[in-house]
Amino acid sequence: MTAHHEITAHAKLVEEVATAVQAVPGVAFLRPGLADRLRSAPARPTPGTGGAPPAGVRMTRPDGEGPWHVEIHVVALRRARTLDVARLVRSAVEHRLDSLVPAQQTPRVTVTVTGLV
Amino acid sequence: MTDRTDPSNSAFTHADDELLPCGRLVSRTWDDWEQQTDDAHLRSCPHCRDAVRGLDDLESVVRGLRAESADTSAYDAEPLTRRIMDVVRLELRPGRPLPLGEPAEDLWIMEAVAARALRAAAETVAGVRAGSCRLVDARVDGTDGTCDSGGVRLDIHAPVGVSLPELTDRVRARVWEAADRELGVVLASVDIRVTDLVAGTADDGQEGRTP
Amino acid sequence: MVGARTQSEPPDTRADTTAPDDALLAVRAAEGDEDAFAVLVQRHAAALIRLATSLLGTGAEAEDAVQDAFLSAWRRLPEFQGRSSFGTWMYRIVTNRCLSVLRARKPVAPLEAAGDVPAAEHATSPARITEGRDAVRELREALDLLSAEQRACWVLRELDGRSYEFVADAVGISQEAVRARVFRARRRLTQALGAWR
Repeated sequence: MTAHHEITAHAKLVEEVATAVQAVPGVAFLRPGLADRLRSAPARPTPGTGGAPPAGVRMTRPDGEGPWHVEIHVVALRRARTLDVARLVRSAVEHRLDSLVPAQQTPRVTVTVTGLV
Repeated sequence: MTDRTDPSNSAFTHADDELLPCGRLVSRTWDDWEQQTDDAHLRSCPHCRDAVRGLDDLESVVRGLRAESADTSAYDAEPLTRRIMDVVRLELRPGRPLPLGEPAEDLWIMEAVAARALRAAAETVAGVRAGSCRLVDARVDGTDGTCDSGGVRLDIHAPVGVSLPELTDRVRARVWEAADRELGVVLASVDIRVTDLVAGTADDGQEGRTP
Repeated sequence: MVGARTQSEPPDTRADTTAPDDALLAVRAAEGDEDAFAVLVQRHAAALIRLATSLLGTGAEAEDAVQDAFLSAWRRLPEFQGRSSFGTWMYRIVTNRCLSVLRARKPVAPLEAAGDVPAAEHATSPARITEGRDAVRELREALDLLSAEQRACWVLRELDGRSYEFVADAVGISQEAVRARVFRARRRLTQALGAWR
């Protein structure tokens, strides 16, 4: 029961983060990188969501109850400076998580740009 | 008299081969025909000529087959190309990420993506064709413990008749600018190598192209 | 200064001067430049489709084979050192892909299993093979009697007009082996076409 609830809550957080990232100006779309695909292949599916987890967002807690580690893979628009977009993405993730789970420590956010369109 | 020893010692002894009544192997007769060997025996022997006739007739049917197939020469590669590229663009080859901004920011860009942008920048210089573009991450490669940022190694084909030092300076400047303004990748060095000279117009239509 | 203003040079009217050559595109594609790869695909697809169609006999299978070949090439490009041209490399990949298809496609032809067709037919001259549409259709059918390797070698030699050396390189066997297969293919084809009269 608890485990299921945790999985559902986790999946919801991932969705929220994905939505926040998509909304960042300069982001074209979230996209799984190769690493994501390799990782997600043996991973168990997350029940409680509409389908597969959103691509391009991976959230883990490598230190048990420590801060989240959020990994974002994103395709950005060429017309914006890539570094600026990546910084905005990081900010957007931090703000979103801060508003959703304020008690948590500041997450570590890794952003990787896997394409430019 | 039959000449058995010679054919059996030849380079190709085929399981399918056959000894003609005149003592020659079909394989030899056909081989001579294919190479248009001028041979009195070949011209006069009825067995050999029969063997050749079969092959000759096959050749004329083959010509008919070739003619039929040639009708399909107006092939539109567009749909196939699209299907292939749909898969290619979804796949990601394993590649290394490079830091955007300061390494401590934990923001990255895949090398192939950065390379595309820098090649495009180089090609805004008239007549330049960009080739291999590798971004060297100095920290990872361990070349210099004190150096934080990486460098670019870019190969280009340059147009003939242009001063190479001036050209490479311009290319270097464009690459620096693109790395900073478009990407936000910090570069320690930009290394341009001219790997070929290409004859042709310098003001080709490809200048400043967008992919 | 020599290189001051290159725009004043007269435009070169040769066809390919504005297009990057295959070698350059291959290097870029190996490093992940998808657009460069797309250009290579567009340049070589038609010729490779023709090759695959002549090897396999049908257009639909040819498209699948060429598509697989290009995807395989995309993944293997980092290993492609440019020792041969990109076109030759693709030729080899497509040939081998078609060989796999041919091998998977058919059981061993009866002629293979039984050994040689009795030689009695050939002591006298066989019925003349004639040209015409029927003959071409019969030739297409007769190709199905060949083993995969015989068919491939024969097609590359006879339909694509390649040298024995080229065929050997494309298929990955010795020239002697190519000659042997072409010979056997010719034997079977002449027998099949002659016998069906």
